Amino acid sequence: MSDHKRLDGDRNDSAPGDEGVNTHEPLSGVKGYAIGLALASLLTAAAFILPGTGLIWGPAIPAALVVLAIAQMGIHLVFFLHITTGSDNQNNVIALAFGVLIVALVVLGSVWIMNHLHHQLMTPADMMRMMR
Amino acid sequence: MFGKLDWSAIPFDQPIPLIAAAAIGVILAAVLGWITVKGHWPYLWNEWITSVDHKRIGVMYVMLGVVMLVRGFSDVMLMRTHQAAAFGASQGYLPPEHYNQIFSAHGTIMIFFGSMPFIIGLMNFVVPLQLGVRDVAFPTLNSVSFWLTASGALLTNVSLVIGEFARTGWLPYAPLSETSYSPGVGVDYYLWALQIAGVGTLMSGVNLVTTILKMRAPGMGYLRMPMFCWTALGSNMLIVAAFPILTATLAMLTLDRYLGFHFFTNEAGGNPMMFMNLIWAWGHPEVYILVLPAFGIFSEVFSTFSSKPLFGYRSMVLATLFIVVVSFTVWLHHFFTMGAGGDVNAFFGISTSVIAVGTGVKVFNWLFTMYGGRVRFDTPMLWALAFVLYFVVGGMTGVLLAVPPADFLLHNSMFLVAHFHNVIVGGVIFGAMAGYEYWFPKAFGFRLDEGWGKLAFWLTVVGTVVVFGAFYIVGLEGMTRRLQHIDNLAWYDWIMVALAGTLLIAGGVLAQIMQLVVSIRHRDRLRDETGDPWDGRSLEWITPSPPPVFNFPVLPDVHGEEAYWEIKQRAIEQQQLSEVPDYQPIEMPRNSPTGVITAFFCTFVGFALIWHIWWLAALGLVGAYVTFVVFAWRDEVEFEIPAEEVERIDRARRESRQVILERGAPA
Repeated sequence: MSDHKRLDGDRNDSAPGDEGVNTHEPLSGVKGYAIGLALASLLTAAAFILPGTGLIWGPAIPAALVVLAIAQMGIHLVFFLHITTGSDNQNNVIALAFGVLIVALVVLGSVWIMNHLHHQLMTPADMMRMMR
Repeated sequence: MFGKLDWSAIPFDQPIPLIAAAAIGVILAAVLGWITVKGHWPYLWNEWITSVDHKRIGVMYVMLGVVMLVRGFSDVMLMRTHQAAAFGASQGYLPPEHYNQIFSAHGTIMIFFGSMPFIIGLMNFVVPLQLGVRDVAFPTLNSVSFWLTASGALLTNVSLVIGEFARTGWLPYAPLSETSYSPGVGVDYYLWALQIAGVGTLMSGVNLVTTILKMRAPGMGYLRMPMFCWTALGSNMLIVAAFPILTATLAMLTLDRYLGFHFFTNEAGGNPMMFMNLIWAWGHPEVYILVLPAFGIFSEVFSTFSSKPLFGYRSMVLATLFIVVVSFTVWLHHFFTMGAGGDVNAFFGISTSVIAVGTGVKVFNWLFTMYGGRVRFDTPMLWALAFVLYFVVGGMTGVLLAVPPADFLLHNSMFLVAHFHNVIVGGVIFGAMAGYEYWFPKAFGFRLDEGWGKLAFWLTVVGTVVVFGAFYIVGLEGMTRRLQHIDNLAWYDWIMVALAGTLLIAGGVLAQIMQLVVSIRHRDRLRDETGDPWDGRSLEWITPSPPPVFNFPVLPDVHGEEAYWEIKQRAIEQQQLSEVPDYQPIEMPRNSPTGVITAFFCTFVGFALIWHIWWLAALGLVGAYVTFVVFAWRDEVEFEIPAEEVERIDRARRESRQVILERGAPA
């Protein structure tokens, strides 16, 4: 893939945060960030306002909030973290995937381990009951 | 005014730390006095302390690592001699609270301030050279990383005289480390020293990942990078992924201790087990952070000294990435006995055995690299050979300990102590020594004395085998770790054997120091004129030793897996060097005191927080922030080296290269 890419010749392949980075993307520069900010603010505001308006059926509100949260993540990824399907975006995508994998392993692993422990071991209250 | 700090913090009643501190103080004063009298301060300040050159920073990292390894080894001497004198009726010479501080300081210093700086220093020095670039991605950040690490090391050592160190072991297990059981400042020293050094390590990880992903020489695709760059990439990815867990866990313990939170306490809904869980979710990847770069060093050494390309390069890359991911799925094997049920223990036991497959692939690749090669037994190669033998034993006892029922018997025994020293000394320390011997000529322009190097090697290797062999046996006989006093006289002989082994290692340490002294004295005889003393294969050997500040006059064009080897062979075949390139002016980053000043303030922040001197902590934070702002508003970032200067430096290199052509002339 990148085997034969001449890194010095490919100035588009620069680090995120560099000046002039991602200028070739459709939503680039200040315009891209402005749209991103507007969308993100809209979704945040919606999350606060919608539940009070009665537009959504009561029990469905949690589901609606989850939908808004996921949309929010998408906006952040596309407009602020520049995760796109572009060709030189591999590093960003791989970094994101690696990060998600590690967080998932640690969080799910910890929940599993601590739950198991909870079932296996007596709580102090159990112990008091047994000693009686 | 001074928080909890008063004269009672200084242990006037304990002669050992006071005498040690006085000796260190005298040595330090002598060195500083000598520098002042000789007028070396401007040189030190301009060329080293404020340097943002990755090579200089790498060397300083390694120097910090070496000093701290010796410091950690002095703890070893105390522990071994004390245990040998603490059998039955005799009580040894260290009171329990002091002994507990010593084994805690030993582990903390060896891992965080000995091994980590040594390994990070080697990566810093070598990776940009091997990639064929001029510096790391963020040179000033690199300097900040180093000085923050040094700041953490300083705080840890200050605890020797002012106050105390943690008595909790190298990982401050809750609830022992909570204020109810550790009311003193020991754990606070641990927490702040590690938080400050941890920030440095994390930034260093970000820096090296960016460097490897974004800054390779033209044509240097991922699958043409030298193996050391791959393992450095794996190691730094692990740093970026794992160190935040350590930071968060220690921050939670800090909140418990400073603000009365209940994350890990026994009461009010806290859960001490969660501390074990989180600290090892960082702790196991940390093991691979240390050992992956060592694997990379051995790969370079095996290939260079067998005069053959590395066997199974792609499987080596795969094995490295396999270890990176799987290292995050094994952490529970550090606390099988905590009380989780059969399926949890079984899962983590199996995943632990599986991760050994990745290392096994590597071991066979190293063996096949030697097979059919012309093997040269220089000192770096000796360390690599000893590593394979030694590490395989450590790995197998590791797989044994990965079986939960066996672990229930061996948990916290001397067998465990023997196992992890077996892999960390055999992997990381042997790797660091191999790298030190291998790249020293590149860094300083002269080789190290082989005689003293081999003596140091044999003493150290035999010593470690004796010490940890005795530990394995005494562990199987039931001795637990961290004993301040030993009642069972049946273990006496083995503890004496371990003491004898420790003396051998001490001889090895002395021989290692002698090697440096002798080599510096005879540096003219040992001079490396060609820049390629080992008949190397990767790009660092194309530069002169020591390399010029810009590393490469023109960035090398890479056409295959062994970039320099191909260039060298082509030149030897044609009996002429490559064409004189078109030299261009080179822009290099300016030196900056940002790193050392930030670390200066951070040291005060840490010290002030440990002793609850709030005004000083605030002052230090403001100082560190102002330093950052001043740096952010700088005007001139780089300076230019004119093309004529580049040409002049490269002409000298090309002349010395002629020697290689004649040396390798086809018969």
